[in-house]
Amino acid sequence: MTRGVRWSALGVGLVFGFLLTASGLGDYDTIHDGLLLKDPYIFLMMASAMGTAFAGLAVLRRTGRTRYAGRLSLPHHRIERRHVYGGAIFGLGFGVGATCPGMTVAMAATGGLLGLVVLVGLLGGLWLRGWVERRQQRPVSTEPETSAATRAAVAS
Amino acid sequence: MFDVIGAQLPWWVAGPGVGLCVVALYGLINARLGVSGAWLATLAPVEGWKPEAWRRTFLLALAGGCVIGALLGPPVVVHGYGRLSEVLPPVVLVPVLLLVGLALGYGSRWAGGCTSGHGMSGCAAASPDSVAVTATFFTVAVAITLGLHALTGGAL
Repeated sequence: MTRGVRWSALGVGLVFGFLLTASGLGDYDTIHDGLLLKDPYIFLMMASAMGTAFAGLAVLRRTGRTRYAGRLSLPHHRIERRHVYGGAIFGLGFGVGATCPGMTVAMAATGGLLGLVVLVGLLGGLWLRGWVERRQQRPVSTEPETSAATRAAVAS
Repeated sequence: MFDVIGAQLPWWVAGPGVGLCVVALYGLINARLGVSGAWLATLAPVEGWKPEAWRRTFLLALAGGCVIGALLGPPVVVHGYGRLSEVLPPVVLVPVLLLVGLALGYGSRWAGGCTSGHGMSGCAAASPDSVAVTATFFTVAVAITLGLHALTGGAL
């Protein structure tokens, strides 16, 4: 991992974590009221994040290059069954617990130590899915990287 | 602790802010910002594969950013687990939260991402799989939440 890659991940991670926490997403009630369709905050935040990122990516596409990893290649994958099944199971956890893998970290940081219980379950769930995939003799899924070129560029 | 952030950041700051994080990670290291992928990377040694090196840095930075957000505020103080811990006694709450985590982990690995990887980064890149996952999990989460609200007579 080059210095540029390390500092990029560090900087973006810090800002991202800060914003998740400062927007109160670590609070069950914030998310729950959103999912009850009582408080539009989470939807406005999500939509403005998507809109900003969409506009930003339009600019990035024009240059077509990244700072530390060569040519830009954005993800584009067709829909498979696993997206719907996996999304539905994820939605079950999201609905009951009103949290997600990132928000749980914000929860633990703002005093919600029960978020650590969710984290233990999260790691268990990730592992369990890998176990099922190995049992089905399939290669275990890791989160898709954007391209082989990126893998080579950001490899340690 | 320091009360610099008195309350939840407005959505029009937090949303575009996380959107820029997504753009920055693509533009710097050609990578899709995703928290479930970062957690998954921590399991790599157990499963015997090599994760991308930036993921561990990102996860540590994310946790650091959350702690900074909590210290500067906190924007919210989480007690117990919000309204869920008022409805469920601890002996039920802890197993429920473990199952919540399990669903989040299993579902996100199956689907190939979570709220950040698919919901923000993938949707902003207009990747069809991400749009499908995001629509699925939000629909399921809203349905579950409205269902719980009805079942508990409005307590949740």
